[in-house]
Amino acid sequence: MAEPLILARDLARHYVVGGEVVRALDGVSFAIERGEFVAIVGQSGSGKSTLMNLVGCLDTPTSGTYRLNGADVQGLTDDALADLRNREIGFVFQTFQLLPRATALANVELPLVYRGVSRRERRHRAEAALAAVGLTNRLHHRPNELSGGQRQRVAVARALVGEPSLLLADEPTGNLDSATGEEIIRLFDDLHRRGHTIVLVTHEPRLAARCPRAIRLTDGRVVGDGPGAEIAALGGARAARA
Amino acid sequence: MRALRRSAVRAFSEASEGVRIALSALVGARLRSFLTTLGIVIGVMTVIAIVAIIQGLDASFEAQMANLGANTVYVSKWKWFSTDEDWWEFRNRKNMGTKELRAVEEEALSATAVSPMQGLRALVQYLNHEVENVQTIGTSPRYLDTNGGAIQAGRFLSDPDVQLSRNSAVLGAEVAQRLFEGVAPERILGRRVLVNGVPFTVIGTMARRGRMLGMDMDVNVLVPYTTLLRDLGSKRSMTLAVAAAPGKLAQLEDELTGILRRVRHVPPGKKDDFSLNRQDQVLRMYNQLTGALYGVAIGVGLITLVVGGIGIMNIMLVSVTERTREIGVRRALGARRRTILFQFLLESSVVAALGGSVGTALGLGVAWIIQLVTPLAAAVTPSAVVLGVVFSAAVGLLFGSWPAWRAARLDPVEALRYE
Repeated sequence: MAEPLILARDLARHYVVGGEVVRALDGVSFAIERGEFVAIVGQSGSGKSTLMNLVGCLDTPTSGTYRLNGADVQGLTDDALADLRNREIGFVFQTFQLLPRATALANVELPLVYRGVSRRERRHRAEAALAAVGLTNRLHHRPNELSGGQRQRVAVARALVGEPSLLLADEPTGNLDSATGEEIIRLFDDLHRRGHTIVLVTHEPRLAARCPRAIRLTDGRVVGDGPGAEIAALGGARAARA
Repeated sequence: MRALRRSAVRAFSEASEGVRIALSALVGARLRSFLTTLGIVIGVMTVIAIVAIIQGLDASFEAQMANLGANTVYVSKWKWFSTDEDWWEFRNRKNMGTKELRAVEEEALSATAVSPMQGLRALVQYLNHEVENVQTIGTSPRYLDTNGGAIQAGRFLSDPDVQLSRNSAVLGAEVAQRLFEGVAPERILGRRVLVNGVPFTVIGTMARRGRMLGMDMDVNVLVPYTTLLRDLGSKRSMTLAVAAAPGKLAQLEDELTGILRRVRHVPPGKKDDFSLNRQDQVLRMYNQLTGALYGVAIGVGLITLVVGGIGIMNIMLVSVTERTREIGVRRALGARRRTILFQFLLESSVVAALGGSVGTALGLGVAWIIQLVTPLAAAVTPSAVVLGVVFSAAVGLLFGSWPAWRAARLDPVEALRYE
């Protein structure tokens, strides 16, 4: 397959706030191949959250084109977007976003429920996904009975269970202490080695530096795209200048 | 084919997931669910209780009506269940008396029995026992044929009693019991009681008849109408109870109209100055009454169900707000708008249906208690129960639709960011 997994060309997303047009994203282009581990890094207000929403098919661009796994995303109906998210994207959020009243197993099964997978297969695959993140003995715990690191592992299992083509993580270590955050990053490294495509959105240059590739956003534009260590340093330099 | 099967599986798993979520949300907020459904519970309880009582009334009323002569025409100057405006018209009619009785006795060919009924309320005494407000009826031996009832001890009034205006009295069961507490019925016979101060000899007692439309049929004394007219001086109008031969009710009414118009000298073209009353008028009146009760039940039920529905809408709006992030997560994981809509609709109708079930159970309990402490009998048909539960689920669906629609309309990005 010649086409990259993600192809963004001239993506723009404008909001109208109080009669004024805010250009959250202002002409962003990049491509991400299958199997890449890419950080999207930028300070708050840089447009990285807006970009994440577009990449995650939660939102559609004001202009420009976005192709995911060979399909045009702009112009899709709401239902089609929901199905696309279900099939192609596994989300990992900063605040875990697990359903509080459901067990780890039920949380992980959820994407499969929306895909119409039978109960038996759902359970089987959810158990396998939880085993893959090392939580075999926590299947029937509820989120409030799990540590922060364990919760994020459940969230990763939920993101993986549907075998999506893209793992999209939004500040996955933001609510964790540094040791636990390190565990999660190692989990991502591991998933990357096993061939998963991962896009990690973060404001921390330190985290971006660990990724093979990083895209830096400032004021809604790409200001750097290259090996993680270099791009992170670029940010450091800018921060030092400022 | 595969796609069809997959979407069927999807619909089913979404539905079962929806039920599971709805139930876990209910269990997760027991107190709130309880308070939310209280309106529905009270509404359904009220309706079920009222319906149970009306249906019980219907059953016992039918049983009572069967006791009474459905074939009997009551000729009176009064019309039963007349309105206030008519009162003066009836009041000014000539009294009915012995003249009419004789004419009807002799000429009404379709009648099997005719008895006069002349009544007043009297004080009945025996030694130091007394019963107030006793329905004292002056009648003839035919009373048993036209009005029903049976003798328990002694005998009923005889023709000689009437012809000779004897001071003979037959006591209703309740009167006999209260005047002669603990005395065997046979030993009451021959004793002298005072009716409004006039002495009467007890010749018999009636078997107990029970109540009819709240009237006690056993607090009465039956005496010859001739004696009543002579000694108790009633100037009130007489009622003639006329029993029709089987299948000849309409014919009897025609005959009675002719006889009475002639005897009472009603000129041709003028309205009748008497009324022919029948038991089925009681029935009609009863149906009007219970119809009104049904109306009240439906009205109360609707109002409380609307109030309950608003309660559900309120709590579902709160629930949608509280679970905004959950909705965002579900949308991110691939739930369509209609999946979210369905989930919340299911939740509100499950809450309401549970409330309806509890309300039904309580309503049956209330009806049962009423049955225990009052003479009313309660009865409930299964259809009323099913209707109660289904109707409350429908209320949940109706009032849950706006909150569910709001949940479905949420933008996933906004919902995920919601604090």
